[in-house]
Amino acid sequence: MRIGTAKENYIADEALFDTNIQRGWMVALMIALFALPFMTGQYALYLICLVMINIVSTTGLNILTGFTGLVSLGQAAFMGVGAYIVAIMEIHLGTPFLLNLLVAGSGAALVGIVVGLPSLRVKGLYLAIATIAASVILHFIFANWTSMTGGVSGLSMPPASLFGMELIQPNQVYWIIMPITVLMLFGAANLFRTRIGRAFIAIRDRDISAEVLGIRLLRFKLMSFAISSFYAGVAGGLWAYFFRVITPESFPLLMSIFFLAAIIVGGMGSILGGILGAIFMTMVPEILKMMVGVLSPIWPDAVAVMSPVRVVVFGALIIFFLIFEPDGLAEIWRNIRRFFHLWPFKT
Amino acid sequence: MSIFKIAKHVTGALLAAGLLSGAAHAEDKKDIVLGGSIPMTGVFAFAGVGIHAGITDATKIINDNGGIEGHKLVYVPEDTAYKVDASVAAFNKITSQHDVNLYYGDSTGFSKTISPEVDRLGKMVLTGASFASELNDSAKFPNIFIPGPSYTDMVGILLKHIAKEKPGAKVGLVHSETEFGRDPVDGAKAMAKELGLDMSLIISTAPGGVDVSTEVLKIRRARPDFVIFHGYVLAPIPEFITQARAMGLTTKFMGTFWSMDNSMVGKMGDVADGFMGVMPYNYYFSEQKNAPMLDKIRSMRDTYQSNAYMQGFFSTMMLAEGVRNTLKAGKELNGTNIKAGLQEIKDFDTGGIIGVPVSVKGNSVPIGRVYTYDLSKKQMVPTSDWIHLD
Repeated sequence: MRIGTAKENYIADEALFDTNIQRGWMVALMIALFALPFMTGQYALYLICLVMINIVSTTGLNILTGFTGLVSLGQAAFMGVGAYIVAIMEIHLGTPFLLNLLVAGSGAALVGIVVGLPSLRVKGLYLAIATIAASVILHFIFANWTSMTGGVSGLSMPPASLFGMELIQPNQVYWIIMPITVLMLFGAANLFRTRIGRAFIAIRDRDISAEVLGIRLLRFKLMSFAISSFYAGVAGGLWAYFFRVITPESFPLLMSIFFLAAIIVGGMGSILGGILGAIFMTMVPEILKMMVGVLSPIWPDAVAVMSPVRVVVFGALIIFFLIFEPDGLAEIWRNIRRFFHLWPFKT
Repeated sequence: MSIFKIAKHVTGALLAAGLLSGAAHAEDKKDIVLGGSIPMTGVFAFAGVGIHAGITDATKIINDNGGIEGHKLVYVPEDTAYKVDASVAAFNKITSQHDVNLYYGDSTGFSKTISPEVDRLGKMVLTGASFASELNDSAKFPNIFIPGPSYTDMVGILLKHIAKEKPGAKVGLVHSETEFGRDPVDGAKAMAKELGLDMSLIISTAPGGVDVSTEVLKIRRARPDFVIFHGYVLAPIPEFITQARAMGLTTKFMGTFWSMDNSMVGKMGDVADGFMGVMPYNYYFSEQKNAPMLDKIRSMRDTYQSNAYMQGFFSTMMLAEGVRNTLKAGKELNGTNIKAGLQEIKDFDTGGIIGVPVSVKGNSVPIGRVYTYDLSKKQMVPTSDWIHLD
């Protein structure tokens, strides 16, 4: 515990930020987020937007898997549901992007509830297989409901518009993605200060005990699936506005594995873990690519020779973190914070 | 004025003149940049490595021969692992760091995604590994160039060959249930009808599916003279042929470009014998006479180079020719003018990369040749002459 932060009531105990320093950092982060588009180029902003979309989806999966203990490999398919809803609404109805995103999240949540039904009977790997099956079915629908989804060719959609201005470039779409990501993260963090969030954690820790305590498993497991899928649906909608071309191949099973890896690497059952995991999984391949790029002026064929090495290094880095910090990057971050909280007094 | 002062003034004048002319030269002879989202890792790496080598070699040959009208061609690749988001990231990175005139993309998904941005920038022409028929539309995709026939054209070339070999033949089409696989289905049906061929057998297989016994039974029932595979690289083609042969079928099996690499077909083993397909380019080992570019490639690389290599090489060659036409016409280097420069290409001698002079029609180069695998030679050998589609 941090020195000098004695809590005098439960409200203070449950506050998201318990010191002025933390609040100060949060204000600085918000200022930085608002200043970013004016300080960086399109490439950096593209990556930042991509990271944010991945953070929203990873956070959704973290609510389901990290906090409720229900393993899912259907996150990419739920994103697909959201993306298609946004594209169809934008193409056929031309409704405002906020409404489209809300409907995308709600649509994905409904699908999530249906997919979550087996979670009452199966857990662990069995549930993972059930969600894979669901994602195969959804993929089939994306590819074959041609009149709505455009079939295997997919859909090309117009960009989002705000006050008549089309949001095409990363520095424009950023103004949709960033506030929604921040909002969704605050939503997720607050969720675990409520009875619902605590019920999820109780189910994860011991579902039978949770039921004995009066938590209705059916309601809360499905609620967890719905919330998680809502996040995925919104992330899919943001993805659709970002790329503006959606095909059934845009949301493969590998993408679900990516999100699962992100919460494992980042730290399951921690909002910060989901954020760090998404940043790690999205940015490390890019950073490794940049390092290979540095070699190009002196070694013209570096890109060809080093690309496979880069993939191996990425894999090795994941294994390294899992071995040396099984609780994920979030725990490394907490250790660093602890060190500075106590510095120079060592415990 | 002392001798030193005179020398100083003369040196200054010379330096100034030199610098100015150098600056003028640099301005006049600006590098032409070819960016590339290349899949050097991931599921398409087998092709990406070849594409990269082909573009690299073509770039070197062009620069060794004085560049494009004196402009150096600079190739800037990035690995994408065959993921659309990584390809777009590479595009953003390369275009933010270089003044890009030409771009090579790795997939249909990427081409479709980035095409509006390419149109908006108006600075470059986009080519790539995709032969998607949808992209072969100059009105919808004005800045795209397909370095060969579209997938529909490829099947069209095969059908044209079949119609000549066996008029009224029964033809089956087996495709994967992907965007890539479904691409030529409608076009192929229409063309088969036009050529008087019976294409009532159309089978789709699940992506990654390995058990094809049900599909082979459908082929046995229909007993087609020819079956065209599209949307695959290798699997499940060998399984289809093995089971069909075991059932005593004499059907001839054919493939399209991405299943036509010589080493890949060789991996089928004995069932590869007689496997046919369409290839828009000559193979590395082609015995065509008067093929200086093929000779040059063989002198640079003494081992077999894949069909992906030839595709990368040909793409670079054609893009350079498009830029050359633009520069010769004294036009500004932008997407519209480079594309016009590409469409001006008529009866262009590729030095043996393609066996006959080629012309650009719309967004593509609709030409190809039918080859058959000869197991004794372990090589694809030409079965037809070069076939043009109008």
